[in-house]
Amino acid sequence: MHELSVMASLLETVEEHAHKAGAKKVLSINLIVGERTSFVDDSLLFYFDTLTPGRLSEGATLNIQRTPMRFHCASCDTKYEPIIGHFRCPTCNQPGQITSDGSEFLIESMEIET
Amino acid sequence: MTTSNVQTIKVAKSLLENNDLTAANNRKQFTQQQILAINVIASPGAGKTSLISKTIETLQNKTSIGVIEGDIAGIIDTEKVLAAGARDAVQINTGGNCHLEAGMVQQALEHLNLDQLDIIFVENVGNLICPNHWALGEHIKLCLASSAEGSDKPIKYPDIFAASDVIVLNKVDLIEFVDFEREFFYESVRALNTRAPIFEISCRTGEGLVEWTDWILDHHKGLLQTT
Repeated sequence: MHELSVMASLLETVEEHAHKAGAKKVLSINLIVGERTSFVDDSLLFYFDTLTPGRLSEGATLNIQRTPMRFHCASCDTKYEPIIGHFRCPTCNQPGQITSDGSEFLIESMEIET
Repeated sequence: MTTSNVQTIKVAKSLLENNDLTAANNRKQFTQQQILAINVIASPGAGKTSLISKTIETLQNKTSIGVIEGDIAGIIDTEKVLAAGARDAVQINTGGNCHLEAGMVQQALEHLNLDQLDIIFVENVGNLICPNHWALGEHIKLCLASSAEGSDKPIKYPDIFAASDVIVLNKVDLIEFVDFEREFFYESVRALNTRAPIFEISCRTGEGLVEWTDWILDHHKGLLQTT
């Protein structure tokens, strides 16, 4: 449900950039969406397809690059993705600390035809 | 004959930028009016309205509290906080939207008597996922958990625990009956967030409410000193 307002806002930003660059058409839009954000690919794509007809972005491809949530283990000095059920380091079983990995929610770039 | 060129444009913008800009304006307004704003996020049934009502009752003669109530539908919570002694309250019905957005709070502020308020609680829609992503302009993001929900909430919903400025654990009077693993809860929260204080309270028995409300009063004093 919340992906609807996100997609509406995305299209505003994308088309503002496309107009400035004199685009005839938007070919693709590249997003980076971290696991921590809980935004769902299928819903983002669904609302994208719902909102784009008749606009510059109609027919464009929405590419979504996912990034995982990762923790840092001070004992091993490595980053790890938690295993199911707890946040401890899978190597040494010590509690780690969350990093910013996986919190991205960005329109990184787009391809346009001019 | 016309030719077409394909080019790549770097955008590098947050998908939530529009909301973040409105939130920044709300925050500026709160700060100028010397009102401490607290965004309350929790699952349905964790005790958001109870926490706000008990805080109002405990601080009745010390400070003046307003409430913005966010719900899918209905005004039942607004009536509850007014009965508890809220100076002013306004209801936002999201009509199905699963979280509040900064623009909704901006509109709600027009209906509150801000000159009379020291603290505003914004009760978000009951949900631990998306309310975390839409900043409202709050000074403090509060995550409320309750023992009855189980000790694995931080594992299942890590981002809200990671992003919160304060964590309140309600229904601690039920811990012995619901197999809540306190140590596991604290370990998981601390892997996500080392800075937020954790308050253990019971809205039913009143346990922990004085410590919690003292912390709120200190933050309001801190805001007055910076403005």
